[in-house]
Amino acid sequence: MTAALVYLTRRTVVNRLRRQVARVRSPRYALALLLGCGWVAAVLWERARNVSGPPPSPTWLEFGGALGVLLLVAWAWLGSPDARVLAFSPAEVTFLFPAPITRRGLIHYKLLRTQLVVLVNVGIWTALVGLQPAGISPWLRAASFWALITTLTLHRLGAALVRTSLAEHGRFGLRHRVVSVVLVTAALGALGSGLWAAWPDLVAAAHAGGPALRGALARMAAQPGIAAVLWPLRVLARPLAAGSEAEWRATILPPIGLLALHYLWVLRSDSAFEEAAAEASLARARRQAARSAHGPTLPRRGRALSPPLFPLAPTGWPAIALLWKNLAAVMRRRRARNIAIGLVIGGGIVAIAPSRPGGTLAEITGALGLTWLGFVVLLGPQWVRNDLRGDLIYADLLRSYPVRGWAVVAMEATASAITLTLIELGLAILAYLAFLNDATLEISRLDRTLLLGAALVVLPPLNFMMMLLQNGAAVLFPGWVRMGAPPAGIEALGQQLLSTTASWLLLGAALAVPAGLAAVTFFGLEGAGETWAAICAAGAALLMLAAETFALVRWLGGAFERLEPGAARG
Amino acid sequence: MIQVESLSKLYGDLQAVQSLSFEVRSGEVVGLVGPNGAGKTTTLRSIAGIVRPTEGTIRVAGHDLARDPVSAKRELAFIPDEPQLFEYLTVEEHLRFVGRLYGVAQAPDRIPALLAELELTEKGAVLPGELSRGMRQKLAIACGLLHEPRALLLDEPLTGLDPVGIRKMRTTIVRRAQEGSAVLLSSHLLHLVEEVCTRVLVLVAGRMAAFGTMADIVAGRPDLAGRPLEEVFLRLIGRDGVQA
Repeated sequence: MTAALVYLTRRTVVNRLRRQVARVRSPRYALALLLGCGWVAAVLWERARNVSGPPPSPTWLEFGGALGVLLLVAWAWLGSPDARVLAFSPAEVTFLFPAPITRRGLIHYKLLRTQLVVLVNVGIWTALVGLQPAGISPWLRAASFWALITTLTLHRLGAALVRTSLAEHGRFGLRHRVVSVVLVTAALGALGSGLWAAWPDLVAAAHAGGPALRGALARMAAQPGIAAVLWPLRVLARPLAAGSEAEWRATILPPIGLLALHYLWVLRSDSAFEEAAAEASLARARRQAARSAHGPTLPRRGRALSPPLFPLAPTGWPAIALLWKNLAAVMRRRRARNIAIGLVIGGGIVAIAPSRPGGTLAEITGALGLTWLGFVVLLGPQWVRNDLRGDLIYADLLRSYPVRGWAVVAMEATASAITLTLIELGLAILAYLAFLNDATLEISRLDRTLLLGAALVVLPPLNFMMMLLQNGAAVLFPGWVRMGAPPAGIEALGQQLLSTTASWLLLGAALAVPAGLAAVTFFGLEGAGETWAAICAAGAALLMLAAETFALVRWLGGAFERLEPGAARG
Repeated sequence: MIQVESLSKLYGDLQAVQSLSFEVRSGEVVGLVGPNGAGKTTTLRSIAGIVRPTEGTIRVAGHDLARDPVSAKRELAFIPDEPQLFEYLTVEEHLRFVGRLYGVAQAPDRIPALLAELELTEKGAVLPGELSRGMRQKLAIACGLLHEPRALLLDEPLTGLDPVGIRKMRTTIVRRAQEGSAVLLSSHLLHLVEEVCTRVLVLVAGRMAAFGTMADIVAGRPDLAGRPLEEVFLRLIGRDGVQA
């Protein structure tokens, strides 16, 4: 039976690779591949050229790595439960679940499939981070990444099993998962109390600057509770910070031990696995039957649905219906609801917390708002996908509607741009209000108000352009862009990093001409007064951006009309 | 109403449809039959504007699909064999959405009637994920009929329907044709084709093997006279040796 599962995995990989290679015969794909390879080569060359500076301290590398791992582990337990980690495809459910395969066999098959993604991402991380002329060889670095990512993947799977078991079986599930639950609760308690105790020190250090903040972080990490929680995470990160092969050999065994422990933990969850996997797979099959892949965020059966964002009149510009549909979908996903609830709670805290310097709750809320704003600006275009990246699986339907391609592209991108802009502005306003009465900040209140006003003007067109680029990639390279939910999980972080960087590079290229025009306008009119010159420069940049956007929409609309719907289905 | 001239479609090296020409007039139902892979769905998808023909022209209600796709598409409806529904729109919202796309000013009045006709009134506020396969198919049909298309393209329209639904669907097809629509339906159910179609187009390997009324087809092949459609079909596709 194992041979059959290995055969299935092997043939799937080979056939998928063949398909991807066949795509490169198309000049468009070949050019994109060439550009992509060129970009990766340039990044590697740049990294090799700029290693002359002092390497980061191994202690801080280990500590920073541990903190990164902590965030990922915390997300596995506290973030939205990701049933995709357990889900099998409808074909796998049809063939494997009724077959005489043990639960452990299924788990091993799932782990084998996950290893494919892990290995791709190990390659990416090694290329981006681990190729250094000095220190250990890239192979050892890759082995360190493999141990780290595989352990985190197993942890995510284990966490999903525990959470599913608790959600499905309540107290009965709790009895079977008591060790996991006690350990996680203790870890969260230790982290929470440690952070609470260290917060004033951290805030004061943050105002004092970098070295003071590093000192405060080190003191916080030295607290017994936090040190105990961070220990296994440091162990995982340690081989990556190794400066020599001897040091690597001395540090690699504990992570392998942790990996083995995680493997046993997941394997012991086999009784929960089939049930949880079957449930997740059923949900996935239902979604696929509905021709969708938006991720596990469907409203629960029988729950009242949020109304659409605006009423839809029966007549008028037809393409508005697409915007209406996509915004209705956003309103009905649990993820959107969670964000809205988060913003409301944050706003409530800001409203009731004492608005004075050092008002801890307001400061924490403001800091969290700013942190999330940074994440959303950077990664939001990958997360918010209520556009063609979700809708191209309905390409047949979209193509049969009496709507021109450019209108489809424009409205699909608008839906995502509106969603992303609202989230960003919500977080920006939250942070603004949280720090409203804080006079200790380096940026004055007037400047903060101006920044918020600028965000209101600048974010919508920038987000629209970014979403056009994302949708353009889906239309031009449907075989390479994942439709529906983005690649999920710790194991796919490398892929996300690459696609995010590529998106930002493209946006930078798109903004180069408007920025250049703005610079020329500003320096040309500087003599008439800086304020007027700045206003004219901003106007010229926005006009140029609008012209670029218009041209891009028309071009992508043509590409959408020429798209073979089969290509979008992979 | 639907005019297809020299339609060809290539997928890479595969010739899915080759030099196909035919017309579906107002008020008639043309059955598109052929073995698997004969090019039936490709033909329907080309007429619906989903795939671009490699060669040939398609006109719907006088509008050239390549030159004026929006006007052509406004006159037609394509109902695929596998219902494609948006999982976050309720049954009624699907109809409102389609109403806006096709600019149906009377949509608020037509929607309740259509839901009642297809026995979906109780499910108006429900998401497609909570519907049975048959109900999903009915919803797809309702979406196709809302704007009262002058050209109706149906790909295996009875898939997933219960006996009552099948009978209603047959009635609906005939009634739409009687009201002046041109209906082109693809089906493997030869008794359905025999019952509702005025003409039959037999496709084999992307080419037209026969086209016309049963009388026309038999006139060209006297050896098929008096045979049931199933046998006629098997002989036309060269599989007359297949045993029951």
